[in-house]
Amino acid sequence: MRFLTHSWITLAIVLCASSATYAGTDARTRDLLRQIDDLWRGDSSHGIMRMEVKTAHYARQMTMEAWSKGTEQTLVRILSPVKEKGTATLKSGTNIYSYLPKTDRTIRLTSGMMGGSWMGSHFTNDDLVRESRREDEYDAAISFEGRRGEQDVIEFTLVPKSDAAVVWGKVVLTIRSTDHIPLSEIYYDEDMALARSFSFSAVKNMANGPRPTVMQVTPADHSEEYTRVIYEQLELNVPINDELFSLTRLKQR
Amino acid sequence: MRLMTLAARNVVRNWRRSIVTTGAMAFAAAIMILFASLMAGLLRDSERNAVTMNLGDLQIHASGYRDDPDLYKRIDDAQQLVARLQQQGFHASQRLYGFGLAAAGTTSAGVQLRGVDIDNENSVTQMHRHLVAGEWLTETDPHGVIIGRKLARSLGVRTGDEIIFVGQASDGSMANDLYRVRGILKSIGEEVDRAGLFMTLDAFRQLMVLPDGAHEIAVLRANPDSDLDLALHTVTALAPGYETLDWRQLSPVVARILEMADVQTIVMVIITYIAVATIVLNAMLMSVFERIQEFGVMKAVGVTPWQIFGLVYLETLWQTATAATGGSVIGYAIAVYYQTHGIDLSNIASSASFGGIALDPLWRAYITADSIVIPVLFLFLIAGLAVIYPALKAALIRPVSAIHHR
Repeated sequence: MRFLTHSWITLAIVLCASSATYAGTDARTRDLLRQIDDLWRGDSSHGIMRMEVKTAHYARQMTMEAWSKGTEQTLVRILSPVKEKGTATLKSGTNIYSYLPKTDRTIRLTSGMMGGSWMGSHFTNDDLVRESRREDEYDAAISFEGRRGEQDVIEFTLVPKSDAAVVWGKVVLTIRSTDHIPLSEIYYDEDMALARSFSFSAVKNMANGPRPTVMQVTPADHSEEYTRVIYEQLELNVPINDELFSLTRLKQR
Repeated sequence: MRLMTLAARNVVRNWRRSIVTTGAMAFAAAIMILFASLMAGLLRDSERNAVTMNLGDLQIHASGYRDDPDLYKRIDDAQQLVARLQQQGFHASQRLYGFGLAAAGTTSAGVQLRGVDIDNENSVTQMHRHLVAGEWLTETDPHGVIIGRKLARSLGVRTGDEIIFVGQASDGSMANDLYRVRGILKSIGEEVDRAGLFMTLDAFRQLMVLPDGAHEIAVLRANPDSDLDLALHTVTALAPGYETLDWRQLSPVVARILEMADVQTIVMVIITYIAVATIVLNAMLMSVFERIQEFGVMKAVGVTPWQIFGLVYLETLWQTATAATGGSVIGYAIAVYYQTHGIDLSNIASSASFGGIALDPLWRAYITADSIVIPVLFLFLIAGLAVIYPALKAALIRPVSAIHHR
């Protein structure tokens, strides 16, 4: 899941809080969350995924290839549609660069653009950068454990630490008790109103074990809209040259 | 009538004092006429700038667009609507807006993108003449864009330099293209100066994948002196289902400042005239004290207190009338000079603006009836108030003690 962490967003976020030390969190919770982290852990990743976006105004589908190394470096390159083929997003530390093949130029996104949509999806540019810092930002506790619907689940509630620069009021993460596969992750805003929810499905063996291969995010204020990310290929702990994440390489397709 | 002749003679008798008093009043009146004309000029230019630089007299939007400018809230039949407005004798032009990032070299800035209907925009606004450098948009150069002056500075670009725009097109795809700075606008208003990036309507439609519709239609009355409310009514009827607002509603801050400006002129006139009033009061009081014996004799031979009161008033009236005539002529002459030549403020303030509306650095006076009548009227009023005390003093004199007064 290292992969998710780096390239993707929020899912990653908590799940992959990798080396997170859930301070202010009891030992069992910490062990469980770490176990989840370990399940997805990889020092580097390479994968191909499809993204489907549906909004009130458009529906679009894209495929992309992504590479990541550590928590700081991610590169995503668009494979289709043709119009955007070759467009690349490079995350290096807290900076995001965008390579635009149409103009053959690379631009760095300014702070003003961070709240903007990433490639027309329900993810913001900020979601891409944020995850790596996330691990230090929450206190976690198990808020429910037992049968819910068809299956046994464990539910964690993560509350941002008082000094964390987090826009959410809380995050509720639910995992399957049996194999600790994440099921959903729900974000509440500062007024504790539902903001957006992630659901995970289609558990398959990919890379080194079972993991959900479909992640869908739905914004609370537009329940008919969604962005769905479907992992088609994933390799973890593959050797990747640091040079891949350089600005000079960004230009070369 | 005899009283008037007597008053005139009295004024001429102490001609030195009369000249000083009259001169002070005339000077104040002249200055106030100039001030009122300059204020009227400022107001008229501000109003005209607000309207012809950017706003237009009226604007049409899809309802809700102004509260939440969204690429998808469009006037779908904009083309037909513009044609209908033009048939009714209005000037009208479609505009499209979008947001995104403009980058040049290593710097970048958030921009408000505007698609300009270059065939019609020139009939509504004067933006095309308002360039610091370069040329206005043209259909033959779809990648030539016009940018605001502050944006040009923050991006560090000049005409001929390249700019990359990145944003989100209406189909969710990444809108991006390379443009060349074709022209840089003079100060139009805070928003445009800081973030304006203008391109042709067609270039905008292609970039943002918006084949039809418009976010805004700016409308200008063919005759600027026709009734704005009537025009608002007509246009609202022509554009049912959309929101039509006049420039006062679109830019309430400016409208309010303009409304307040008349009051400001009057306050300024009163403050200046209070100084004049003390001069009048002082001069007339002195003239009364000098003539106490004279008034005593007049009363003794049967002149009534009202006649004396009237005499002092008439003396003041003569002087004020002279001052008003002289002051008006001088003030008018100076105002005419500044109406034609203006005061060049470009050295002091190159981009003054208020309420988001840019001001012309050449400040011209504008002579209206009010700018002459108000200073003159207030001069009479203030002089009349100032002379109450000296006149009463003279009227209420006791003849016997007055004759012995020394």
